[in-house]
Amino acid sequence: MDAVASETGGAGVAGAAGAALDLKALTRRYGKITAVDDVTFAVPRGGLFGLLGPDGAGKSTLIRMLSTVLAPSSGDAFVLGHSIVSEPMAIKPHIGYMSQRFSLYGDLTVAENLRFFARLRGVGRAERDERARRLLEFAGLTGFEDRPARFLSGGMKQKLSLAATLIHEPDVLLLDEPTTGVDPVSRREFWRIISGLHKRELTVLVATPYMDEAERCTGIAFMDGGRVRYLDTPAGIKARVPGSLVEVFVDDDRRAAQVLRELPYVTSVELYGDALQVLVERGPDRVSDVTRALAVSGISPRSVRPGRVTMETAFSELERAGGGEE
Amino acid sequence: MSRRRILLLIWKEFLELSRDRLLLPVIIVMPLLQLFMFGYVVSSDVRDIPTAVIDHDLTPASRQVVDAFANSGYFRIVARGQDESGMKALMDASRAQVVLIVPPGFGDLMLSRLPAPVEVVVDGSESKTSQVAQGYAQSILAAESSRLLPPPPGAVTPPKVPKLDVRVRVLFNPGLRSVDSLVPGLIAFILLLSVTLLTSQAVVKERERGTLEQMFVTPITRAEFLVGKMLPYGIIATVQVAVVFTVGTLWFGVPFRGSLAVVAVGALLFLLAGIGQGLIISTLSRNRYQAQVASMFIIIPSFLLSGFVFPLESMPRPVYLITYLIPLRYFLVVLRSSFMKGTGFGPLAPQLFAMAAFSAVIFGAALLRFRKKLAD
Amino acid sequence: MNRILAIAGKELLHIVRDPRTLIAVLAMPILQLFLFSYALSFDVKNIPTAVLDQDLTQASRQFVDAFSESNYFTVTQRLSALSQADGVFDRGEDRAVVIVRKGFAERVAAGETGEAAVLIDGSEPNAAQLGQAYATGLSRAFAGRVTAQALLAQGIDPKQQGGIVAHVRVWYNPEGRSAFYLIPGLIVVLIMTVTVQQTANTLVREKENGTAEQLLVSPIRSIELMVGKLAPWVGLAAIDVVGITLIGLYLFGVPFRGDVALYALASLLFITGCLGFGLIVSARAESTEVANLLAAILSILPGFLLSDFIFPIRNMPVVIQFVTYLFPARYFMAINRTLFLKGPGLSVLWPQFAGLAVYAAVALLVASILYRRRVG
Repeated sequence: MDAVASETGGAGVAGAAGAALDLKALTRRYGKITAVDDVTFAVPRGGLFGLLGPDGAGKSTLIRMLSTVLAPSSGDAFVLGHSIVSEPMAIKPHIGYMSQRFSLYGDLTVAENLRFFARLRGVGRAERDERARRLLEFAGLTGFEDRPARFLSGGMKQKLSLAATLIHEPDVLLLDEPTTGVDPVSRREFWRIISGLHKRELTVLVATPYMDEAERCTGIAFMDGGRVRYLDTPAGIKARVPGSLVEVFVDDDRRAAQVLRELPYVTSVELYGDALQVLVERGPDRVSDVTRALAVSGISPRSVRPGRVTMETAFSELERAGGGEE
Repeated sequence: MSRRRILLLIWKEFLELSRDRLLLPVIIVMPLLQLFMFGYVVSSDVRDIPTAVIDHDLTPASRQVVDAFANSGYFRIVARGQDESGMKALMDASRAQVVLIVPPGFGDLMLSRLPAPVEVVVDGSESKTSQVAQGYAQSILAAESSRLLPPPPGAVTPPKVPKLDVRVRVLFNPGLRSVDSLVPGLIAFILLLSVTLLTSQAVVKERERGTLEQMFVTPITRAEFLVGKMLPYGIIATVQVAVVFTVGTLWFGVPFRGSLAVVAVGALLFLLAGIGQGLIISTLSRNRYQAQVASMFIIIPSFLLSGFVFPLESMPRPVYLITYLIPLRYFLVVLRSSFMKGTGFGPLAPQLFAMAAFSAVIFGAALLRFRKKLAD
Repeated sequence: MNRILAIAGKELLHIVRDPRTLIAVLAMPILQLFLFSYALSFDVKNIPTAVLDQDLTQASRQFVDAFSESNYFTVTQRLSALSQADGVFDRGEDRAVVIVRKGFAERVAAGETGEAAVLIDGSEPNAAQLGQAYATGLSRAFAGRVTAQALLAQGIDPKQQGGIVAHVRVWYNPEGRSAFYLIPGLIVVLIMTVTVQQTANTLVREKENGTAEQLLVSPIRSIELMVGKLAPWVGLAAIDVVGITLIGLYLFGVPFRGDVALYALASLLFITGCLGFGLIVSARAESTEVANLLAAILSILPGFLLSDFIFPIRNMPVVIQFVTYLFPARYFMAINRTLFLKGPGLSVLWPQFAGLAVYAAVALLVASILYRRRVG
């Protein structure tokens, strides 16, 4: 299956020369279950590529194959031009991998962990100290050098893991749900770090279940059931959603939602946080239409205004519409 | 206690254990492998002791003595020569463990009814071989002495010399088949090993993973938790025992003359003691490696001081008294008696009693300690 | 090379951060050596014995005394009927019964044959064979004394009777000190049991932690990983070896007649081999339980039973002799016995040294091959 890409940079079709990651019909089976099914796409250098999808979609498996930890059942992938099947040893020095569970040494301190991974990766002593210092600062962990890793909070652990994967300055970074279970503040910091990184010619592939994180990516692949359903830039994906969005802030949201769903031009109504995201077919002035419709039912919202289609909305819409390129 | 919840816990434990593909092989195959190896291997009978012979005499008499050694089955002639230092070098190199030296003139001395010396040098670096070699050598020489001695010249009636007929008989295992003694011992040892090791790890694993606290947020009671943890390993141990038992008796023909009931009771009590030990260890350990090391601390002395290989009576008094505290000791007696002698409940009552007492104490202590640990 | 140092350094940190285990690992072999050298003995002594004296004469009492006064048998009770003997064995109260038949003294006085018997419990064949040897030896000695007395009474000088006079000399350990037998062997066994388990754990813990994946992603090669993992443990084990050896030499007075440098080399090779063996176990196991169980089974039983410590390898079926090559203990055992008690060096021991060296290298290689660089 070849995903068709949009023209705005980001995802490209197989064969892009100088692609950081180039997957060709990559497949992984576990007995009867096919975790990754015939996946083909490419990620150019310097991209921040998001791998989205529900639990069990195959994201972790895909990333593990790319990091040469797991062997594919069939197909191949080229990381920085080297095959994961036949040349894994050529790949390992240039990649960094962060798995879902905290995989550093709990009984070693922050500094010791970094030092270990630096030495493991062949980073010379002078550079090692300098980089460690910089990375810790970057990650906001200065002052924690002597704390055993198991006594760090969840967010700090993840940041430390990230620092450990960066110590050898890899060209490709593969992150498997790095912010799952992390507090929102740390999450934001984490993404700040990552965004900063990818500007430095570092290619980052991130798997994440959080749709909002996908907004920051230069390209997205949405996986489900082992296959890639959508492959595009965020803007491109959103563009596929027919209609526009109206945000309604109202007290009795349930009743309001009920009312709105009855309207013919309303495609879907979802509650996110304190606002109703109402997807409507295009029209001259939907805001007024909605306000009027609510008033008729005796509901007076605090505010009605146009909104942006979020990734969340985009995906659930495309799902509903039975979408996905096959 | 809810049976349903306990079954659930047991199922969970087995599920986790089965994650490691090696587990089933280890549990079943290992004991079997050991059984086979030791059944065929281990022979504590000393035989075919490599012997070097230096015969300076070379008369029919001396040749007969040498042949007596060679044909005894206990000694195997590996070198013959005249060079004493060369032979002794063989001892140094452990190529020979006995050197038989017949001095010149032996034959003449024998014929003249005079004392005829024969020298036997034995390698003392291996205890049993050395002792047995000495014993057999003396016996053979004594026998040959009688045979070679010519009748006294001119005597009309030989002097009345009393003889002793002392029959030394080995009961229950006249062939001294080691496997018959080993199989019972192996059963006991494997039980001890599996139960203590696995149980001690079982609880620690939950603590390491932090799932221990999770458990107690659920309706599962502490008692159910304990039972649910112990039963799987008890089951595993029972399966192992059954396997070794079956193969031992059917394949190796190890005789079992006793009652299964006795063995079952003994095994149950022993299991309880083992599980108790495992539990105590698990409360003392913070991670599984610690539990492992602590288990070894208990297992190896149990193995060595239980009478499995080293005889208990040879131990110095203080140590001998300590062996009364080792459950394996009693279980070994129960097993060996059941296999080889066919003893019933009556005579074995003291052993079973002792085991029951131990199990109660160890298990009770384990429970108390466990409750306390879980409480915090 | 850097990578190896990185792994080794990290491993050292892990070890140091777990002081409980560290101390246990260092102290255990030393404590065990103390305990076992003191407690264990290959000699069979104080065999509990019941006596059935059907004759009740001075001669019969003297016969019984020959047994009770020896170190080998300890009389615990007197029976009044032969039927009681079965019960004695069944209950495990005694392991030998000495029976003097009625008419013993009369017959001996008349120059005829006195009858006696010794029944030995064969259920522990190791002790039984020795007990048999002792009983036979004691009986023969007693018979000799009786004969000599009878001859003297008839005016004949026993010494003029001729016959073989056996001179038995024991080399290397003339006093038969059991520490001499035990300690060289215990060193081998104790070190093996401690080391195999150490490395068995280490790889598996990485897998269970999740950190194994990070290692997989790095360019480190399997063999580098193995060497790095091994290195700190070699240091620990070396400390153990030095400790035990010093205790053996200075506290128990075991001689050391060989070359210390050779011993050091052999120990290092042996340690490396054992640790490598542990790595092999660790390379494939997925869970600590299995790794620990496997390591325990594969180190304790083969260590004691297949290393020539108690049971001579020479007497085993050829197939099993091949199996013993799979465990490094046998090589080191032979080296130890020779270096401690006998003296010669490489000229005699080069096969064992070669064996150890090859073993260590092969173990490391096999471990690195088995350690999968990639899942699936």
